[in-house]
Amino acid sequence: MKRLGMFALAAVLTVGSLAGCRGGDSTEQGSSGPKSDIGITKEPCPKSEHKDRGCIYLGIISDLTVGPFHVLAVPITDAQKAFWKRVNAQGGIGGYDIDAETYVRDNKYNPQTHNEAYQEMKGKVLALAQSLGSPTTAAILPDMKANNVLAAPAAWTSAYAFEDNILESGANYCIESMNAVDYANETFKPKTVMAVHVAGDYGDDAAAGAKIAAEKLGMTFINVKTDSGTDKQAGAVTAIVTQKPDLVILTTGPADAAAIVGGAAQRGFTGKFIGTSPSWNQGLLATAAAPALKALYLQSSPWKSWASDTPGHKAMREALGSSVTPNDGYTSGWVWSYPMLAALKKAQADGDLTRAGLLKAAKSLTKVDYEGMLPDGAGNYAGGADGIFRQSLIYNPTVGSGGPNDIKLMKDYFTGPVAKDYKLDKPCYENL
Amino acid sequence: MKDFLESVLRGVGTGSVYALLGLGFVIIYKATRVISFAQPAFMLAGAVLTTYLVGPLGFFLGLAAAAVLTGGVALGVERLAVRPMIGRPVFTVAIITLGIDIAVRVVVNAAIGLDVRQVGDPWGLKVWKLPGGVQVEQRHVAMVVTTAVLIAALFLFFRYTRTGLAMRAASYDQEAALAQGVSVGAVFALSWALAGALAAVAGTFAAVGGSVSESLWLIALTALPVIILGGLDSLPGAVIGGLAVGTVQELTATYQGSLPWLGGNISVVTPYVVMFLVLLVRPYGLFGTREVERV
Amino acid sequence: MRNRPLLRTSYKQELALLDTTSKKVAVGILLAAGVALPWLVEDQLLQLIGLACVAAIGAIGLNIVTGYAGQVSLGHAFFLAIGAYTAAAIAGDPDARTTGYGITEILIWLPAAGLVAAVAGVLVAPLATRLRGLYLAIVTLGLVFIGGHVINEWSSLTGGPGIGRQPPAPTLLGYDLNTGDAFLTRDQKLYLLMFVLLVLAALAARNLARSRVGRAFTAIRDRDIAAGVMGVNLARYKTIAFGVSSFYAGCAGALLYVGIGYFDPTSFNLLLSVQYIAMVLIGGAGTISGAVLGAFLITLLPRLIREVPSFLPFISNSPAESPNAYQLETVLYGVLIIVFLIFEPRGLFGIWIRLRNYWKAWPFSY
Repeated sequence: MKRLGMFALAAVLTVGSLAGCRGGDSTEQGSSGPKSDIGITKEPCPKSEHKDRGCIYLGIISDLTVGPFHVLAVPITDAQKAFWKRVNAQGGIGGYDIDAETYVRDNKYNPQTHNEAYQEMKGKVLALAQSLGSPTTAAILPDMKANNVLAAPAAWTSAYAFEDNILESGANYCIESMNAVDYANETFKPKTVMAVHVAGDYGDDAAAGAKIAAEKLGMTFINVKTDSGTDKQAGAVTAIVTQKPDLVILTTGPADAAAIVGGAAQRGFTGKFIGTSPSWNQGLLATAAAPALKALYLQSSPWKSWASDTPGHKAMREALGSSVTPNDGYTSGWVWSYPMLAALKKAQADGDLTRAGLLKAAKSLTKVDYEGMLPDGAGNYAGGADGIFRQSLIYNPTVGSGGPNDIKLMKDYFTGPVAKDYKLDKPCYENL
Repeated sequence: MKDFLESVLRGVGTGSVYALLGLGFVIIYKATRVISFAQPAFMLAGAVLTTYLVGPLGFFLGLAAAAVLTGGVALGVERLAVRPMIGRPVFTVAIITLGIDIAVRVVVNAAIGLDVRQVGDPWGLKVWKLPGGVQVEQRHVAMVVTTAVLIAALFLFFRYTRTGLAMRAASYDQEAALAQGVSVGAVFALSWALAGALAAVAGTFAAVGGSVSESLWLIALTALPVIILGGLDSLPGAVIGGLAVGTVQELTATYQGSLPWLGGNISVVTPYVVMFLVLLVRPYGLFGTREVERV
Repeated sequence: MRNRPLLRTSYKQELALLDTTSKKVAVGILLAAGVALPWLVEDQLLQLIGLACVAAIGAIGLNIVTGYAGQVSLGHAFFLAIGAYTAAAIAGDPDARTTGYGITEILIWLPAAGLVAAVAGVLVAPLATRLRGLYLAIVTLGLVFIGGHVINEWSSLTGGPGIGRQPPAPTLLGYDLNTGDAFLTRDQKLYLLMFVLLVLAALAARNLARSRVGRAFTAIRDRDIAAGVMGVNLARYKTIAFGVSSFYAGCAGALLYVGIGYFDPTSFNLLLSVQYIAMVLIGGAGTISGAVLGAFLITLLPRLIREVPSFLPFISNSPAESPNAYQLETVLYGVLIIVFLIFEPRGLFGIWIRLRNYWKAWPFSY
């Protein structure tokens, strides 16, 4: 035992003397140009044609293979890559190109994997162009805060209104559902509102918004939780059919939404459904639930869909080319990138492209130019939770062929009276 | 009463899909004494294949072709990844099948693409009205009929064909069967192929009236309590277990509103609760063979 | 005696913890390397290795019930969850939205998490005395599904799916391990904590395995009826096996998410259980070092695989095209597990035995 101890001691001493290997952080301050620390190089980006520019690295952590959201995540990621390519083609940011290609990782929608990917790229990227999913992003938020890392999310949860490190865009689920209930109140005066939702901040957030709006407008509110999987919707369908609400606010995945709407209609339900955007997929119109969807389904949306006529939408369609199948995942990925661009430009103008500088720049933004994809006033990060964007739209996605090119706008950007007066003082889902 | 009857009818419909899945698990178990966790992936693969084949071939031919193709894939997987493991501990093989599940699902997810896909069935959500105002969905009737036909075919196959006899012999005693000239390897391969084909049919019918998305594979997990409930090595057990679980699930879904303290959507876990209750009384399931112990 | 290391003259020698000199040296080197590691590698890797240490504690626990006592349990995620939430509730912030009593002392919440999980294990054990083999495996899997439903619903404790809560923040006798200071960063502190706990857990398990109880486990695994005939009380020892295994699982669960600082109830699913079974099988069932090796391999494998696409420049890294690098990574994870088990069914420990025998007989190896 004694010998063993001696041996261990000797080993520790040897190893201790080699301890210089652990790299430390170094802050660079070039002789010219803005201050910078991590994720910025003087060398050009690996695939860049502009050899005279430096490179800003942005990371993307998304659900790319087997997770539940890869159907949305893949177009989001694609659109973001195209977005930053366009920024580079237009001259980059202050002598830098943006690279959002080198550090793209798959999180499989698992917080643990997400954290691993983040830790791996943490020392090499300035910020995250995308951090998909709420539980996954929550797993890295403490570290992001400690290291001043900024990220664009790929979710609309109301919790992000309270996070300086997250550059959320558009109305959150909670506000979106309030607006949906308000829209219904205007158009057909429902008396009972039911929220059918998956658990978690996506479904709970929307359900909480519906609840707040229903109570404010004097309607009865019914809360029904469901799970994902088309065979698991029997409970939700039964709840709808037996309690006969006038309006159902639906927050699930597309296949489940079709199972619920189709199942309820088939059993004689005639009330209206308003789903959030992740509940819809154009493929649903070829399913057996199509007649039911056509009769009963409307969709709320935080921003305009693929085929809309704004400079931003046009730029997006051009950048992605004609080979892609239209999908609003692309639209979302594109929209979510604008605030990051604005923050980078601001930080560059302030001469401070360090992480702290970028975070400061992002916090000071009072508006973001979305090239018309969101109306003026969107992107007020300086305003904190009071500055959240409160407008959303109502679509009827089921007219015509159901493609994103063929979708009917029922109500353009509006803020309902409930959402207008609502004071967001904590994440909505805590109210449910 | 109308609610009750309709729930039972729906439960029998979805239950017959569970029964088909359960049959696949049991056939593999009887041949190789392994639970194949690759069944969920084959089920999803079968449904996705149907969505591609339904265009050129129509629903029924497309379904048959998808079943044959999935059976072929399952056969190949058995030959490559499972055959080398004969005689190894069953749990090692089970983990291998999980590895297969992960790999196959990635490929299938890529084939699904960005939009949900349809199997293009002729029933959709149409209903028949029975006397007394009770509605029955045509797709559920189709599920029951298909399952019944397949079960009858399986029964005839096992009972009256030489291959079926060989499979029964091999499941009873592999060495004795081998000594009688049965190719046990061929039995293994055929079992996997049969299970793959059954999973493909189950997957397609699970998507009838709905759509195929990557979350479809979760349905296959419900087959696990089903086979334990019926008894791991009992084909009738899988059928009865499937129908029982389907019915219980639908009934809970209908009446869970009166039990709010259990939390939302309790019907999802009822298969496991039923399984626990049955096993407390019958440790080898309802119809499973009690193991004879020798020291 | 000195030159005949395998010659034993007493039963005690046969059962010694470290029976050969080379084992003593090897363990010494490993311990020294483990202690020195925080000053050698980057924090992000350290965090991952710390996680592997915790996973190893959990894998050792599963190995006790599955590898030693032969009762295959797919319910490990359930016990991990019990430990995780017990610890999080005891150490949690009393002012937060989720349950918390603010006792951050690790000497309190860690044993408490283990004990609560152990009680659950003892309650589940009667199942094991009634069921065998695959029946037991699927039934324990049922625990994961039912437990999952409970923790998803119980959002005052767990925060609810997608929202989650913070894991316990460890302090040791008043010394805060959850934040960095002048001497050590947070990741260094946490790694050292995990490493020391792993050594303690491994030592305790090794001692249990070579005791009377451990021999009873092995007898049950090899042939339970024979063991019963020889006078091993099956019910009692199966209960002990489940209890001890769950204690380990509880402790591992409590520590599992400390490094990340966040966890949500959907983490405790079938996949987690399966990962632990894979750790035990890939490492080598029925050996402590095998479980540790397996835990390290399974935890580090995704990280290693993520490096692969950079060596294959012809693979597209655009997720919209198929095949792409991310699909390759995921497929590779599955395929590697298959290949590994086909070619080395005795696990990493089997490779080690083969290597050792090769060199032992050298130059007459075959």
